[in-house]
Amino acid sequence: MHSIRKGSMLASSLLLSFALLAAGCGNNGNNGSTGENAGQTNNQDANQPANDQAAGNNQAANANSGNAGAEKPLDPYEVVMIYPDGKQNDLAAVQTAMNDYLQKTYPQMNMTVKLNPIDWGAYTDKLNLMMSSGEKFDLLWTANWMNFETQVNKGALLPLDELVDQYGPDIKSVEGDLLDGAKRKGKLYGIHVHQELGNPQGIALRKDLVDKYHIDLAPLASGEFKDLEPILKTIKENEPSVTPAVGPAFPLGAYFGSGSMESIIGPVGLDQRDTNADNTYKVVDMYETPRYMELAKLTHDWYKAGYINKDATTPGVDIWKKIQAKTAFAAIGTDLEIVKDMAIGKPSHMDGKSAQLGMDIIQVPMNIDRLHTSKLSATLQAISQTSKDPARAMMLLDLFYKDAKLLTLFNYGVEGTHYALNNGQIDLPQGKTKDNVGFYHDNQWQLGNQMLNFTRLGEDPNKYQNYEQFNEMVKSQSSPIIGFVFDSEPVKNELIAVGKVQSTYDPGLQSGQLDPEKDLPKMIDKLKAAGLDKIISEAQKQIDEWRAANGK
Amino acid sequence: MLEHNRTNPVITIVFILGSLACLIPFWLILMVSLSGQNALAKYGYSFWPREFDLVAYRFLIHDAEPILRSFGVSILVTVIGTAVSLLVTSALAFSLSRQDFPYRGAVSLFVLITMLFGGGLLPWYLVYTKFLHLQNTLFALIVPGLLGAFNVFIIRTYFTTSIPPSLIDSAQIDGASEYRTYFNIIIPLSLPVLATIGLFTIVGYWNDWFTSLVFINTDKLYNLQYFLYNTLMNAQYLQSVADKAHIDAASLQVQPLEELRMAMAIIAVLPVALVFPFLQKYFVKGLTIGAVKG
Repeated sequence: MHSIRKGSMLASSLLLSFALLAAGCGNNGNNGSTGENAGQTNNQDANQPANDQAAGNNQAANANSGNAGAEKPLDPYEVVMIYPDGKQNDLAAVQTAMNDYLQKTYPQMNMTVKLNPIDWGAYTDKLNLMMSSGEKFDLLWTANWMNFETQVNKGALLPLDELVDQYGPDIKSVEGDLLDGAKRKGKLYGIHVHQELGNPQGIALRKDLVDKYHIDLAPLASGEFKDLEPILKTIKENEPSVTPAVGPAFPLGAYFGSGSMESIIGPVGLDQRDTNADNTYKVVDMYETPRYMELAKLTHDWYKAGYINKDATTPGVDIWKKIQAKTAFAAIGTDLEIVKDMAIGKPSHMDGKSAQLGMDIIQVPMNIDRLHTSKLSATLQAISQTSKDPARAMMLLDLFYKDAKLLTLFNYGVEGTHYALNNGQIDLPQGKTKDNVGFYHDNQWQLGNQMLNFTRLGEDPNKYQNYEQFNEMVKSQSSPIIGFVFDSEPVKNELIAVGKVQSTYDPGLQSGQLDPEKDLPKMIDKLKAAGLDKIISEAQKQIDEWRAANGK
Repeated sequence: MLEHNRTNPVITIVFILGSLACLIPFWLILMVSLSGQNALAKYGYSFWPREFDLVAYRFLIHDAEPILRSFGVSILVTVIGTAVSLLVTSALAFSLSRQDFPYRGAVSLFVLITMLFGGGLLPWYLVYTKFLHLQNTLFALIVPGLLGAFNVFIIRTYFTTSIPPSLIDSAQIDGASEYRTYFNIIIPLSLPVLATIGLFTIVGYWNDWFTSLVFINTDKLYNLQYFLYNTLMNAQYLQSVADKAHIDAASLQVQPLEELRMAMAIIAVLPVALVFPFLQKYFVKGLTIGAVKG
């Protein structure tokens, strides 16, 4: 019997160690795999009901337009809006105010809204479940970096061409051709939020040090990062505790990413620096462009000289915190703020960032985005195929492109309770803070026509005029492949393999740790082995077909 | 027994290293949570903060209501869930351990299948929302974790190997009903395994944020882990949104401090760390009060 006791001792200590193991690592693994499975299951299951219901919806839409023609009053309808947002205590009050306003101003539409925000962290998962389980909702926010393509492919979104023609006159007049960016296989699946059409990128510098060393920013007018070197050198020599330059995530990624390539998919795209007109539509691999080599060498040199941060490969590095803590001087390749009369190399004060960090920051643009197709689907409103009345959803969406009052209710809440106007700008009501006002979010970029919005106190009152001016500049130099959307299906496996090679080499190259002369050719060999050439030829084929079809 | 008291230095060293590997990251988190604002950006991670500051904890106390409520939800769900789960799991295991249970093989197979094949997320979601209508209730947090096939088999194995069938026979000869046998004979004899499975379940319930993510829409019912996850994810998303949607970065809210996140992690870990010593008592006790002694 002695042995039994020993045995059970062993058993329970084994169990205990199991328990601890499970507590430590088991859970994470499980969660991860559940998530992945979830995605796959959804994709498969969703196709079936999607097709059935889409048919039903079309009928509903037709029936409705029939009604409208006969001037018969519409039945009451509740438009459910899904969008990502943090918690707002006064959501119900804002919703009521929106509904009161809708009833009063547009009684003929006879609709109410139901605001259904989902936490950022849960947005993808929850939206997926809602779509797959056929839950009824109408308007949803989506984006090409937030599963838009998947949602289109599995039939979760309604084609909007006819709806927008019939019920979206203001959308059409505001957005016009820009709508085409959300077309997939010839049909429109999302309505682009009217906003800035690109970004300037460049260098942000601490004004205190610029003044201290009387740094001349004029050489930067060239728009070349290499002309920053003497400035970095000055800082390196005089301020030993300050890292002269830091980059968001990876320095090289940031400044190569801006203005070098017309990206199509992964590392493949059109070389923007190639001035030969015959090569405008020639698909190349970014790692083989002279520009990449040039910048990679520059990064490696800067890394060796100690001009850029050595911890670029550490996840979660916050460059602005470093600047705020005065351990860094310049942020290179970062997105800048849109100001009046922007031009390459023209320094200006960075108002928003300066206020946020509590110190003066100067920005110098080195690149201004061209108009890209991807930007035009970077923030969209779409209509779910589970909507019972897509026409009404489109009517509501249209209002957000023309009715500033409705849009203000959504963005800033109820006047007097959630905001007060101060010289035409949004201010917090007396004695309130962001945290206790009950409704405070910056979701302007998620819905409607941003140019109708108020600005917040502290922002440039002319923010939206600046945006319009900036948009003209962006539009004037649109990408040669504007409107082209790559179908990645034929090269799916190659993309994964190429992505793996990239993730092995990118951190080293982009942070400057690897010597590009030595390692870049190695990387290119591995990329080719992974099927890069197939991706290039597929992209070239699709570009050529697209050119033929669009007469470019 | 004397020779057992001599410890093997190799084993000791291995365990010391193992413990350090667990303790050091935890220590780092604790120290970051105790360091002043922006200390991370200034000095990076360090094992001893240059400036002690309780700012993160003060911030948590200042905005205590949602945290306290999610704490309450977590504790309630963990306590009720673990108690009910142990009852259900061990009762099923008890039935399966009995040679005289008629459909033993079939039921075992049924349990086994759930271990090998999952139904997938969508059916799981549909069952709880469309058939049981548990969304936005505390039941949605408790019910999905009640019965794990793996736990059932562990307890069953313990029953079949450590409790002699003759003990059950003798109890029934003395006139004990099935329930009496189960509650008065089996349960007291099984404290070691119940404590172990209990720990599994406690940790499982306590660390579960995914059920909250899927089933809970009102922030009043968020449990602690989901509350933390949410705070973290909101901050991360806001940052990535700025990159991906190319939003004017200045217009987005400032994210919570790193120190704050660490302080939250410490608060979330404490209860589970506190539970463990109490359970440890039962491991020992369960071993020494065995009814059949040698």
